[in-house]
Amino acid sequence: MKRLGLLAAAAIAYVLAAWMVAPGFYDGFGPPQPYNWTCPPPQAGANTKPSSGHADIKVIKGKSEAGSAFDNDGQIVIGFLPDSFDVTGKTSISVDITPLDTCPQPPGVRFVTNIYKITADAPLKQGAKPNVTMRYSNLEPDPDAIYLADDPNGPWQSIGKADQAQPFTVTTRTSTLGYFAAGYRSVSPPPGTVTVGGGQLLPIIVAVLIIVVVLAGLPLAVVRRRTRKSPDEDA
Amino acid sequence: MISALRANLVVRAVVIGMYILAVEWTRALAMRWPGTAAAALILGGAALTLVAVGWPAERIGIGTSRLGLRILGGLALGAVLLLPAAARSGGALLPGGLALAAIAVSIGEEVAFRGVLFAALEQLGGAPVAVVGSTLLWTVAHLLSHPPEFLGAVAAAGLLLAMWRWACKDLVGPIIGHVIADLAL
Repeated sequence: MKRLGLLAAAAIAYVLAAWMVAPGFYDGFGPPQPYNWTCPPPQAGANTKPSSGHADIKVIKGKSEAGSAFDNDGQIVIGFLPDSFDVTGKTSISVDITPLDTCPQPPGVRFVTNIYKITADAPLKQGAKPNVTMRYSNLEPDPDAIYLADDPNGPWQSIGKADQAQPFTVTTRTSTLGYFAAGYRSVSPPPGTVTVGGGQLLPIIVAVLIIVVVLAGLPLAVVRRRTRKSPDEDA
Repeated sequence: MISALRANLVVRAVVIGMYILAVEWTRALAMRWPGTAAAALILGGAALTLVAVGWPAERIGIGTSRLGLRILGGLALGAVLLLPAAARSGGALLPGGLALAAIAVSIGEEVAFRGVLFAALEQLGGAPVAVVGSTLLWTVAHLLSHPPEFLGAVAAAGLLLAMWRWACKDLVGPIIGHVIADLAL
């Protein structure tokens, strides 16, 4: 009984400790750090506002060098190949990343990340396709694409996504700068996930586990009790 | 004679702990390279399982006696491990490739931490040393893969699984519970 009591105490301690952090801290699949939200979902817990980012890309011999810009949270990165910009009259290109401080949700698309505005003080060259990578939270479904708009109120267009390189990141290429967010078409279920019961998979799994344990545990307990009693009865 | 034997037990426990730590940290660092997550998890799980070579299955808590109870215990552990997340998010199952990796690393970690390391520490200093020692190393092993604010929950999960291992003398339950928790985000 003492052992069972200590085990129960450990279970309670675990539930309390796990309750204090965002869900999904299991082996290596959780995001490397909690997502910093502009508009946190209710289950997010403590939240830090997302940060902005800046990069200066050098221009050498009339061509912009390769470089990348990212926010300080590591939630969005844009990488430029050499000669990506029209550098007329420039000695460096300034690239800025700013999180939008509102969270518009356009019709037909459900964003699962903040919206970031990426600007540069020189236009992209035709054919230049910088790489955009966005990190997303495990609290939201996987996005089916990164979406791009000239204005945060839309219209938003999907610019697709490449094969997933790392869990909880989505990557694609873009031919223009503007507003970026990752999301999925809200008319269909979120992609890449196995969902049942209206997307409430985890609560259903836990409920099923509890039912199985209770239903199968009772007969097992009865059998064990009978097995223990039988030698005495024989005697 | 006894002190020499005891010294050997210390050396053995330290070597096992260092090996496990090296594998876990290497895995965590390897996963930072794009596209290597699944491979790192599978190889890491396999490398952790190797630590059990030469250990009798019963010594590390694996057996077929009371198998029904062991499996039920694993399901119960899975339910407890997922409960805080289930109460707050809908969740999802991992896609195929990552699911296989999750199973590999879950089995590897249980065999290494609650199986071999627990057995070595228990032989060295009894159950308290085994529970506390395996939980401490489990937490340190996750320093590189988890942000600091998650480590309390990681430690509590390690303590729960170690307590099960001690209270029920069983590793099948922790393996099943760990696999369930890792498969369902």
